[in-house]
Amino acid sequence: MADLGRAALFVSLGLAVYATAAGAWAARTHRRRLADSAGNALLAALGSTAVASAVLLSALVRHDFSFSYVAQHTSTELPTGYSISAFWGGQEGSLLLWLLVLGAYSAVAVLLNRRRAPDLVAWAVPVLGAVSTFFAFMLVAVSSPFGTQTAPAQGAGLNPSLQNPYMLAHPPLLYLGYVGLTVPFAFGMGALLAGRSDERWIVATRRWTLFAWTALGVGQLLGSHWAYVEVGWGGYYAWDPVENAALMPWLAATAFLHSVMIQEKRGMLKVWNLLLVILAFCLSLFGTFLTRSGVVNSIHSFTESPLGPWFLGFICLVTAGSLALVFWRLPLLRSKTRLESLVSREAAFLYNNLLLVALCLTILWGVAFPMISELVQGEARTIGRPYYDFFLRTFGLPLLLLMGIGPLIAWRRASLRSLGRTFVWPAAIAVAVGLVLVALGAGSSTPGLVAYTFSAFVLATIGLEFVRGARATGSFTRLVSRNRRRYGGYIVHAAIVLLALGIAGSSAYGSSTERKLSPGQSMNVGGYTLAYRSLAQEREPNHLAVRAAVDVYRGGDLVARVEPGKNNYFAEKQVSNEMAIHTNWLRAEDVDVIADQITPGGAIYFKAFVKPLVNLIWVAGLVFLLGSLITLWPDPREERRLAARYALAQG
Amino acid sequence: MIALSIAAALAVFVLYTSAFGTGTPSLSPSQLPGHQGRVSVVGKVVGRTSGDGHEQALRFTLRDRDGATTVPVVYRGSVPDLFRRGREVVIEGRVVSGTLRAIPGTLVTKCPSKYAPAKKA
Amino acid sequence: MTTSLVLAAAVAVAAVLLVAAPFLREPTPREDRLPEPREAGKRQLELAEERDRALAALKELEFDHRTGKLSDTDYRDLVGAYRRRAAAALQALGSAR
Repeated sequence: MADLGRAALFVSLGLAVYATAAGAWAARTHRRRLADSAGNALLAALGSTAVASAVLLSALVRHDFSFSYVAQHTSTELPTGYSISAFWGGQEGSLLLWLLVLGAYSAVAVLLNRRRAPDLVAWAVPVLGAVSTFFAFMLVAVSSPFGTQTAPAQGAGLNPSLQNPYMLAHPPLLYLGYVGLTVPFAFGMGALLAGRSDERWIVATRRWTLFAWTALGVGQLLGSHWAYVEVGWGGYYAWDPVENAALMPWLAATAFLHSVMIQEKRGMLKVWNLLLVILAFCLSLFGTFLTRSGVVNSIHSFTESPLGPWFLGFICLVTAGSLALVFWRLPLLRSKTRLESLVSREAAFLYNNLLLVALCLTILWGVAFPMISELVQGEARTIGRPYYDFFLRTFGLPLLLLMGIGPLIAWRRASLRSLGRTFVWPAAIAVAVGLVLVALGAGSSTPGLVAYTFSAFVLATIGLEFVRGARATGSFTRLVSRNRRRYGGYIVHAAIVLLALGIAGSSAYGSSTERKLSPGQSMNVGGYTLAYRSLAQEREPNHLAVRAAVDVYRGGDLVARVEPGKNNYFAEKQVSNEMAIHTNWLRAEDVDVIADQITPGGAIYFKAFVKPLVNLIWVAGLVFLLGSLITLWPDPREERRLAARYALAQG
Repeated sequence: MIALSIAAALAVFVLYTSAFGTGTPSLSPSQLPGHQGRVSVVGKVVGRTSGDGHEQALRFTLRDRDGATTVPVVYRGSVPDLFRRGREVVIEGRVVSGTLRAIPGTLVTKCPSKYAPAKKA
Repeated sequence: MTTSLVLAAAVAVAAVLLVAAPFLREPTPREDRLPEPREAGKRQLELAEERDRALAALKELEFDHRTGKLSDTDYRDLVGAYRRRAAAALQALGSAR
């Protein structure tokens, strides 16, 4: 069966090469049938990749250890769900997942657009084909999931820390995001190659970008939640290169989603939009590269795989090629419109873009710094948390404020009079909230106070928008359904505000304590008293659960009983930390208790955190999803309008 | 206007790096000689390990990933669950008379699987 | 082993068929040219985009006014120019057709 897998991937490679070469030739010489044939090659490639994937999947589920990959990532006791997740657990499998998702996206993009924008598709196909060629080539020649061996009796199994539902959802979502950014890139490059300066490429791929961006965002929040709840060091984001690898394309895509609105409204920023989509896609590739090669000292990966140089080469090729393309078509993209005023919605969007890109590039610098310093100075230097925190605050807080200012300003230019009127209420609310917060003690952290005040401002603005809009259109549902993009967008902004509140609260106003306690002793943290009562052990099927019984008091009242501890896994001979979280809903904060070290005598070294508002981060994820769905929802009126435009381009 | 903002961003950046310095060297044990200040060391845990980080200082030896140079390490603070002989770790500290005196809480063990988040101290 | 071979061959054959399909369907087509916008079409598309932009801007101006973001005075100042722009765009597109 492994032979079938290998053969299918070989067919995929051949089809990808054909799609690239024949597609480019057909587009250049305007041959319709050849262009259709190249598009079909992408469809067929999906089929053969799907066959290869099915082979791997079936081997994983059957625990066929004659497949080296299966032996490396599963074991006979591994539940089926996790055996399936082993598909993306290793390098070769995750490359196959990339190719499969790319194949699916390409096929759908071609099918949906080949009749209504054939000139765009004609050039998008070779671009999609080129990316597929790279991944197929990696799978066939460098990193194949179909290596075989004499089947051992037992496989290596899956690390117990990975055996949780997050492993089933987090990687696939991220991949849907990463790979999804290929489609707007391909259509953008396609438009350039075809010599088009119109917006059809943006219009055709807008929902793709939204979908990929949503998947990337939700995937990252899932990952953070996983880190917080399961890994148990009390945090949810470590600025680790692999975490940043997903954040960077997301920031670039966010900037892109905003600036295309300017292009739609005013016809400007054509070049900027193309540069952004190139940046987003290249960062997406870079992210895959970071996660898969050992180039950066990340705590997520360490083997220096042969994949590294190939990926780096491909990224350089893509970057250079696409920039050259933009440069070549520059005359076509010049627009006559200029920014009329520094105080207009366009300007606000532009500032938003600059801040987002600045944040994205500072993170990129932080991630690449070890590699660059090694090249330049001969020794790798790593950049730590304070760097990222500083820039998150420097760029993030103004961004937060902008989310509130943007909706209040009109397009083109806003007279200071109308500005004053619309600002009055939200600003007043924000100042009031600020004063109340200072009275409550929030002045202890300036960035925290600023974040809270700005958040109040933005939430007030958004609330006002909904109220005013509902009053003008008559009903709330009518308002949202008639202006899906705008009000869906406001909901997404609200989600970001919640995110900001959660981050600010838990980092600026949290507390932590470390103490060694013997049974009977207690410690204080952030207004709570934790009393260590006793230690117990319980034997489970595959691990020994050691738990400390800790009573949580607040102001003399017993609030909860938590049981932090550790799990000792027999087969894997591994220990996992089981952090205990008590959520105080009334005070909107989490109390996290970690049994860091359990001494033989029963005394335990505890670490405890109080994290205010941390759960807003997860709530933000849900609100984000809601807002995105509303924005993504198909709008028949909009479709009709755009269909007319496509028709115009046909003749 | 774009030029102005780029200038502004660069200014912020230069301000930061002049105030906070330019990162910690990330070295393997063989690269340590000559470094006086704070360093970050990557290596494999070899040999005997003693202590637990809390009651007594954790003492272990770090060796180059692919090499033979070793350095003894003294560490106080949380020890990640995954820490053991044969695992790769990253740790920060200062080299004092041949021994790496680690900064508490900076011991990070790399997870053997590629997708797992690491066990931080 | 033989099942693998047969299935692999099937995959390959299916792929070739799919790729050759456009040529097999139309061995001798009337014309084989990719439908692309000519100069006239490109111009019309540009004008259509400009018209859509002008109409959307007008609609948004009115919405901003109705929701109270734009004062009556500001609205009166701007609406004339917006309406003229929209009219011009409609006219340009109409005459280009």
